[in-house]
Amino acid sequence: MLRRTALTGPATHLPGRKRRRPHVWAACLTMASVLAGCSGTGSTISTAVEDSSSAIATARLALHLESSGKLTRAATSTALDDSLKELETSRKTVLELSPATEMERQAVQEALGVLDHCAASLTDARDAAASNDGGPTLPDGERELAAAADRLSALGTKDGGK
Amino acid sequence: MKRGHALTPVPAVPGRLLDAQLHLLDRQVIDNDGVPVTTVDDLELSGPALETELAPGTAAPVLTALLTGPVLGTRIFGGRPPSSRLIRIPWADVSEVGVVLKLGVSGEHLDAGWVERWIRDKIIARIPGGRHDPR
Amino acid sequence: MKRLLGVALGVLTAIGGFVDIGDLVTNAVVGSRFGLSLVWVVGVGVLGICLFANMSGRVAAASGRATFEVIRERLGPRAGLANLSASFLINLMTVTAEIGGVALALQLASSVHYLLWIPVAALAVWLVVWRVKFSIMENVTGLLGLTLIVFAVALFLLKPDWGNLAGQALAPAVPAEETAPTYWYYAIALFGAAMTPYEVFFFSSGAVEEGWSIKDLVQSRINVLVGFPLGGLLSVAIAGCAAVVLLPAGIAVTSLSQVILPVAEGAGKVGLAFVLVGLVAATFGAALETTLSSGYTLAQFFGWSWGKFRRPAQAARFHLAMIICLFIGLAVLVTGVDPVLVTEYSVVFSAIALPLTYLPILIVANDPQYMGQHVNGRPVNVLAMVYLVIILAASLAAIPLMIVTGAGS
Repeated sequence: MLRRTALTGPATHLPGRKRRRPHVWAACLTMASVLAGCSGTGSTISTAVEDSSSAIATARLALHLESSGKLTRAATSTALDDSLKELETSRKTVLELSPATEMERQAVQEALGVLDHCAASLTDARDAAASNDGGPTLPDGERELAAAADRLSALGTKDGGK
Repeated sequence: MKRGHALTPVPAVPGRLLDAQLHLLDRQVIDNDGVPVTTVDDLELSGPALETELAPGTAAPVLTALLTGPVLGTRIFGGRPPSSRLIRIPWADVSEVGVVLKLGVSGEHLDAGWVERWIRDKIIARIPGGRHDPR
Repeated sequence: MKRLLGVALGVLTAIGGFVDIGDLVTNAVVGSRFGLSLVWVVGVGVLGICLFANMSGRVAAASGRATFEVIRERLGPRAGLANLSASFLINLMTVTAEIGGVALALQLASSVHYLLWIPVAALAVWLVVWRVKFSIMENVTGLLGLTLIVFAVALFLLKPDWGNLAGQALAPAVPAEETAPTYWYYAIALFGAAMTPYEVFFFSSGAVEEGWSIKDLVQSRINVLVGFPLGGLLSVAIAGCAAVVLLPAGIAVTSLSQVILPVAEGAGKVGLAFVLVGLVAATFGAALETTLSSGYTLAQFFGWSWGKFRRPAQAARFHLAMIICLFIGLAVLVTGVDPVLVTEYSVVFSAIALPLTYLPILIVANDPQYMGQHVNGRPVNVLAMVYLVIILAASLAAIPLMIVTGAGS
C-alpha cells in the first residue's frame, strides 16, 4: 500500500498520520535480538539505512534553508533530486537482496517499508519546494521528513546499529 | 677482450663528436621557423649492407638522413619496420644539433610533416577560426 | 607598480585556479565523514605540489622545453610511453570529471538537468581552447575562481567551535563511525586531489606558452609558493564547512548539491551566488587545463607542433587530439554515469599514477644539459626524494585499500 502511494504521487492525507503496525514491530524486536548484524543481509540493510539517513538529513537541511530564505529554488530542487536519487539507489540494493531465512525476509520487508515511506516523504518535500500553491507546503514537507528520519533511526538501532 | 693489436684511436676530426643514441635519437626536430616537425625515430647510414664482406678501401658509413615513422612498437618490443615505411629527412637539411635538431628548411615541404598537413587541410582548416592567429 | 600588479595577478590566479572538482568533492566528503582529521594530508599534498610545480616551471624556463618533451629524450620510448599512457588516461578521466562538474554546477544554478548542460559545457570548453588567448583564459578563470573564498567566509560566519576544529586537525584520529582502512583510503584520495598530475604538465607547458625565461623564475616561484598554499587553505575551508554543518547532521557528501549547503547556511543567498560562480569558474578552468594537458602530453611525446600561441592550423594534430578527448569525455558523461563518482575515482587513480608522472620531472630537473646552472640544489633533491617515497607508498597502498574498503563506502 505504501509502495502504491509513492508511485502515484503526493498523498495529501499523509501529514500527521502515523503508520504503526504493532505486530510487525514486535516481530522485528525479536528479530533484532537474533540478528547480530553481521549477515550479508544485515550489513546491506544497515548501509542502506545509513545512506538513506544521510539523504533525508540533506533534504531536511535543504528545506530548512529554503524556509529561512537562504537557498534558491534551483539549488533546493537539485539537492532534493539528488537526495531522492540516493534514496532510490539504497532502496534498490535492499530490493535486490535474496533473503535466505524467514527472519531475514522480514527484516528486508521492514526495511523496504521504511524506505518506501522515506521516498514518499522526499517526493512530497520536493513537490513542496517546487510549488507554492496547492500541494504540500514547506512546513508539511519538513514534518514528513522528520517523521521519516525518526523511522529510519529506529530501524537503524534495531538492526544492531552499525 | 684481447685482440691481435690495439684498436686504432679515433682520428681527430674537425667538428663535434656525437653519440647517435644520446644526441640524435628521440630528439625533437624543428624547422627553420621554429615549428616542431617530428621526433627522430631512426637514422639512415650509407655504406655496405650488414653482413657483407668489406673490401679494403671501402668508405666509412656516413649519416645520410634522419628517419621518422611508425616505430613505437618496434622500439619497445624489438625489430624494425622496412625502410619503405620510414620517412626521410636528409641530413643535408639539418642546420644545428643541440638540445633539439634544427633544420635549415621549412617543414612545409617535408614528407615528415604530411600527417600534420593533411589534418590541417582536411580537418582543422575547415573549422571556423582555424587559421586565426591567437596573438 | 606594474610589476607589483603582475605579481598580484599571478598569485591570485594561482589561488583561484588551485581548486578543481576533485578538491571540491574530496574535501567535502572528507569533512562530512572525518571532520578535520585529514587536514594534514592537504598540507603534505600542497607542499608536494609546490615542490614539483616549481621544478617543472624551472625546467621550462631554463631549457625552453616543456616537461614531456624532455621525458622521451631522457628516459627512452619505453619508459616515456608508460608515463604517457598513465598520464594521458588519468587526464582523460579528469577531463570527464571536470566537464561533469561544470554541468553539475550549472544545474545547481539553473535547475536545468545536468545532462542537458554537458554538451554545452564541452562545447564551451572547446571554444575557449580554440580561440581564447592563453593568458586571458588563465586570468579570467583564475580570478573568478577566487569567489570560492566564500567557503572561508561562510566558515567564519557559521561561528564554529574553533577549539574543537583545531583539536581535530592537530591531533588527527579516526572517527568512531569510520574504520582505519577507510581513513587511509581517503587520505590517499585527498593526496591525489591535491597533487594532481595534470597541474605539473600544465604548469610547464604554460611556462613555454607564455614564453618564460630565467628572469621569470622569481615570479613563478612566488606564484607557486604563495598561491598554492593559499589555495590549499581554500580546500581546508571546504572541508571545514562540511565538518561544521554536514558532519553533525549525519550527512555524508555524495553529490555537489550537498557541498554548497554549508555556504548557504553561513552566508545566505549572497554566499550561494558567490559559491555558484566560483564552482562554475573553478570547474571550467580546470576543464580547460586538463583538456590542454591532454593535448600537451600527446603532442610533446610524439613531437607534434603544439601550443595555444600558434594558430590552430599550425598545431593541427594538437587541436584534433583535444577535440577527440572532449568527445570521449562527452560520450562517457552522456551515458548517465555519476560525475561525482567519476571524480572520486579519478583522484584515487591520480594518486596511483603519481610516481610515474613525478619521477621523470625529478630526473630532468637534475640534468645539467637542459638546466645549465639551474639544476636542483641539494635541499630540493632531499625533499623530492622524501616525497617520492611518500608518493610510492600512496600509489602502492591505493588499490588494496580500494578493494578492502569498497572504494571508501
